[in-house]
Amino acid sequence: MTAPEPAAQPPAGGGASQAGAPGAPCAGVTQDAFGRRSPAIVTANRPLGSLGWLTVQVPGWPGAKPGQFVMLQAVDSCCFLGRPLSVAQQDGDTISFLIAPVGTGTRKLCGLRRGDLLWVLGPLGNGFDLEALSTGPGRLVAVGGGVGAAPFPLLLSTLAASAAEGPTARPEEVLILLGFRDGSQAAGAGPIAEAAAALEAAGISCPGEVVTEDGSIGRPERITDALWRHLLPGDKLAVCGPSAMTQAVAKVCASMPGVRVWFSLEAGMACGVGSCHGCVVPLADGTNARVCREGPVFTAESLFARGAFGGGGEA
Amino acid sequence: MSILQPPPAPSPAPDISVQLGPLRLAHPIVNASGTMEIIDLAEVLGPDIIQDPPVSAYVPKTITVDARSGNPAPRILETPGGLMNAIGLSGEGLEAFVAGRLQRLLELPCPLILSVGGFSLEEYVALATGLRAALAAALGDGWTAKAGLELNISCPNVHSGCVSIGSSAGETEAVVGAVRAVWPGLLVAKLTPNVTDISEIGRAAESAGADAIAAVNTFKGLVIDRRTLKPYLGNITGGLSGPAIKPLALRAVYELYESVAVPIIGMGGVVTVQDVLDFLACGSRVVAVGSAAFSEPGVGARLAGQLGEALGARRLTMESVVGIAHTAR
Repeated sequence: MTAPEPAAQPPAGGGASQAGAPGAPCAGVTQDAFGRRSPAIVTANRPLGSLGWLTVQVPGWPGAKPGQFVMLQAVDSCCFLGRPLSVAQQDGDTISFLIAPVGTGTRKLCGLRRGDLLWVLGPLGNGFDLEALSTGPGRLVAVGGGVGAAPFPLLLSTLAASAAEGPTARPEEVLILLGFRDGSQAAGAGPIAEAAAALEAAGISCPGEVVTEDGSIGRPERITDALWRHLLPGDKLAVCGPSAMTQAVAKVCASMPGVRVWFSLEAGMACGVGSCHGCVVPLADGTNARVCREGPVFTAESLFARGAFGGGGEA
Repeated sequence: MSILQPPPAPSPAPDISVQLGPLRLAHPIVNASGTMEIIDLAEVLGPDIIQDPPVSAYVPKTITVDARSGNPAPRILETPGGLMNAIGLSGEGLEAFVAGRLQRLLELPCPLILSVGGFSLEEYVALATGLRAALAAALGDGWTAKAGLELNISCPNVHSGCVSIGSSAGETEAVVGAVRAVWPGLLVAKLTPNVTDISEIGRAAESAGADAIAAVNTFKGLVIDRRTLKPYLGNITGGLSGPAIKPLALRAVYELYESVAVPIIGMGGVVTVQDVLDFLACGSRVVAVGSAAFSEPGVGARLAGQLGEALGARRLTMESVVGIAHTAR
């Protein structure tokens, strides 16, 4: 259900923060009625190979959980709607996004300059279940395809921060597997490498592998090939990528006992808050779920019937 | 005497409340059905949106007799200046709505206009009867001052009933008349623009007893997947909304105003207060915001706040602005 427009990933969110006070960085933008949307200002925007790394300051940003998303729209935009984008990293009220410039909206976002203004609505969605991913035996495996790598810098940083705080539940090891189309796209792995270093510094082993379809970096493989080589019984996976990758990863995991998987789904969205019912995904029980409200993170068992996904949550 | 007169005192903000049948609305801005899940918004963005809604009457997503999963994905796509959707009237069905969501919506401080969609005349009657009973049970005799009914006879994304009823003056008259017989409160007929002559449908609804006409639902359209060159939407066709349709919607409202005497709820691409003025000028007494609420959930409150000033600056009132486009230039 990846839209031909970019409708990038679903993750990430920007809350109803209050901003726009005189003298604030976004004073030029009138506060939205009710503060439903927050004005934000671009503090940096740089390419990472063929992807973009957009950093914005959102005064009053309440903080996002890894896997949450925002609806992001340039104030001066040719687009009518925001675009759903994972919060890729955050530092106080400054948040960053990994963006694939594939459509009108995402190209506009990748072309913004320092000082340009945006609307941020969020943080939205459920985010990853960090406790489930961190507790008990078994590795945490972060699996990202293309711009689906977006939620993982924040995921790793959050794990590092909580590990540094004290004896909280922590994964034994975090394995990072990233698949990209080519070396240019693989530059998007940079922020993950930085976050992985922080995790190592916090005492959690954090190996990783990058593969590209054209072999320009790492093995000439798809992400599922890399997953085949690495997957172990008991692994807990956090997965983000396009729909086809989700399906393929589910098949790989179905063959391995005791593997638990959480998928962060991509979907085109109009609102991000549950109003439009445009981003639905069919669930294993035959009902539909809105990716923006009930997701974007879903367990494998909720998405795939038992026969189709043998791993289950029981092992 | 100096040519430099002291500036006139700013005129007080005009009263922008409006009467819509038995409903008193604090201002003329409501939402289009299916574009604002106010309970979800409260859960995501905070409960004050329930306590102080951005609209003067809340219109929930269309209720159907049975639960419906709606159309297959993909269901939405942004297009230049607009949005294509093919949701397909997904929803929980009448019984679940009455037992759950309706009770929460009755906590809203503003009136409700309940949108219903059926696949036959009998379903519309069943929906009206069921909602009447639920409202009377919850609110007692005074319920007609709190809730009205909107007949969605115009959804372009289902394949029977609904829009096929609203595309025929005879069927429209029959459905509106049958519901009128069982529904004592505000009765709105929401029309499709995908007809040869919307005025004919409007007159049929009015003559059958509709208290107001809502216009327009979305324009039926189609988008192609740029990669496959096949239809993008799971339903093949969809409905176009957003700024792209505003001139088309204004034309429909303009024609309806010359054809019916009942109030018109105008909608189609409203984003700015100028858009609101345009719809009022063409003959709308009430104006609905739709797709714009997707990116700006508080758009209704913003427009309501700006409208008084915009009218005052032109020395207009609600009474004088509605239909002003029809007077001689």
